[in-house]
Amino acid sequence: MLELRLVQGSLLKKVLESIKDLVNDANFDCSATGFSLQAMDSSHVALVALLLRSEGFEHYRCDRNISMGMNLGNMSKMLKCAGNDDIITIKADDGSDTVTFMFESPTQDKIADFEMKLMDIDSEHLGIPEAEYHAIVRMPSAEFARICKDLSSIGDTVVISVTKEGVKFSTRGDIGTANIVCRQNTTVDKPEDATVIEMHEPVTLTFALRYMNSFTKATPLSNTVTISLSSDLPVVVEYKIAEMGYVRFYLAPKIEEDEEDKS
Amino acid sequence: MSEVETLGILDEIEALVSDKLQVVSYKWLSRNFLLPSDTAKSVQACIPKDPATIRNAEFVQAEELYGQPATVGNCFRDNRFCGISNSFATRNVEGTSSTVAGPQLNGLMTRGPSSKSNVEIDVKAEAGTSTHLHQVSNPSSKSNVAIDVKAEGGASTHLHHFSRPSAEKGKVTCVPASKKGGQKNKNSGVAGGSLGNLWAHASAKSKDPKPIDGLARTSSPDTAANGEAQVCSSKAPQLCSDDEAEEVNFQRTSKHVTGRKRRVVFDFSDEENENEDAVSLASPGLPKSRPLMLSEEQLKEEKSNLDLDGAKEDSLKVKKGKSLDDEMHHEEISAPDTGREPEISTIKKVHEINSNAKTDDTAPPSPKRKKMLKTRIDERGREVTEVVWEGEDVGNDSKADTATTKKSDSETVVDNKKRPPAAKKPSSSTHAGPSNAASKAGNKKAGSKDPKQGNILSFFKRA
Repeated sequence: MLELRLVQGSLLKKVLESIKDLVNDANFDCSATGFSLQAMDSSHVALVALLLRSEGFEHYRCDRNISMGMNLGNMSKMLKCAGNDDIITIKADDGSDTVTFMFESPTQDKIADFEMKLMDIDSEHLGIPEAEYHAIVRMPSAEFARICKDLSSIGDTVVISVTKEGVKFSTRGDIGTANIVCRQNTTVDKPEDATVIEMHEPVTLTFALRYMNSFTKATPLSNTVTISLSSDLPVVVEYKIAEMGYVRFYLAPKIEEDEEDKS
Repeated sequence: MSEVETLGILDEIEALVSDKLQVVSYKWLSRNFLLPSDTAKSVQACIPKDPATIRNAEFVQAEELYGQPATVGNCFRDNRFCGISNSFATRNVEGTSSTVAGPQLNGLMTRGPSSKSNVEIDVKAEAGTSTHLHQVSNPSSKSNVAIDVKAEGGASTHLHHFSRPSAEKGKVTCVPASKKGGQKNKNSGVAGGSLGNLWAHASAKSKDPKPIDGLARTSSPDTAANGEAQVCSSKAPQLCSDDEAEEVNFQRTSKHVTGRKRRVVFDFSDEENENEDAVSLASPGLPKSRPLMLSEEQLKEEKSNLDLDGAKEDSLKVKKGKSLDDEMHHEEISAPDTGREPEISTIKKVHEINSNAKTDDTAPPSPKRKKMLKTRIDERGREVTEVVWEGEDVGNDSKADTATTKKSDSETVVDNKKRPPAAKKPSSSTHAGPSNAASKAGNKKAGSKDPKQGNILSFFKRA
């Protein structure tokens, strides 16, 4: 028996909106610790990891670990039927091939049940080791989304360079080049507007802007985004879900032309 | 044991022999029925059951000849018609000519209407050509003829003739014709004048309304010229590489300039591989214009070629191109011979005869091909008729004028056959190249398959 009651139902809606374009089908794993998801995109370039801890739910009951295969597009359609202020309850019986989403209005005058068929999805979990990243940039998610959007209008890839001066986003396209440098800025009124750069060593990596723009769909989930870079690891774009968990996007870097030229 | 086997195949042999053009010999029988030659010889024990056939004039005369006292010399005793020379066979060539009447009758009767007797005689005659020993006990005049032919042809041609039975007949009939050309010594070194008499009688007897084989037909005196040409035309495609035979034909044709039909022989006998090439020229299509004078020959030719179809089918396909070259050789060789008019007619005959032969040869295996006779005037003003294959060998249509260019053309025909796949390759590659490049570019732009894009699986291992 599974029963998860999430008062802030909009969170779940936002989560789905952030990942449904990247992953079509995914298994939601429910355990005592929380409600999690890990899935790769179809081209195996990006990976999304979602965690909603059990503490974040008003009511969390998971008698046994259960994996529910869902089509994220269909799930998103159902969640769109929920109001932003609705309380969403996820219910599933053991051995059942359906999952039920119950939407309760804040005033409890409207309760809707949506039952969705589950899918058998053959997916594999990837072991993501804990790693020390060369550079960790925390910046306003809206700013990051804006940068990615702007750069994608000029080029296809973005070169993210972290130096002591700051983090530079660069792109090059047919119409020209673009460079956006964000310096560390902690003297702001709101802590969420700060740009914090933790650099152990300079790192420069190239990524496809297409994926980056897809990641930024998770911007509504969090005011801040954390970009962890390491020269030999995929970049991690993390959106923290307040007091509940996170959505992490992993993106494999592209082989830089400079590296090819050097080699 | 041999009796049982023989009885089993008698009917089959009879059916084979009923074909007028099929010459049956002991060797042929033993080969075809996988029998020892002794068993094959026992086939001649097939005696006609009709007493009228048994008691024919030949039999009566043979009885009479053998019944004569030992002191009286006859054609059996003096071995005058025997081609065997050894210490045991004494030959009295000076024998009286009165006994010749016997062989005359024999010659007539051996071609009796009964097919069974025909079998008998044919087998005997061929046995004579294959083994001389049988001739001693065989009083038939035909056997003598066969022996003479063998003496002319030599051992090498002998086997050749057995593989081509119809050719054997043509050969036999050719021999007396060549004698007119002064080739007596070569034709019959043994029989001498007796053979001439024998042939004279044979021709006299050949007015049989139902001539069974080529012997009777060609020996007709009033159609002598026609018969010669007939025989030679049937012989021409089957000529072996025998030098003597070629010589004979050459001289004959050169001396009988007026006989157009002999010119056909002349063309064929110029080159050694002529026979195969000539036949391979043939094609399923009929020539548009066929001289009436050759119609009878052509019929004969077709019949005689029926037996060769199987044997020459391979060479037909292979040597088609080569035969075209040989055509030009014919033309060039015959050019210095005489005036242009007969020469052209000769070439035409070659074409026509060949096309006739091919009508039977290659029509079933290659129905798609059509042979076209194309006549043109070459640079020397000669009319040249070419046998051109249309259909698969389209390249043959554009023939050059000289033999060398013709060779190159035939080579280009082969090349053209190889060309279409080769031409397809570059075309396909040219098509595939841009499309691939475009697709690659598209992929690059789309970014779905970017070679520079790393894979997440190369960083994280499966749990």
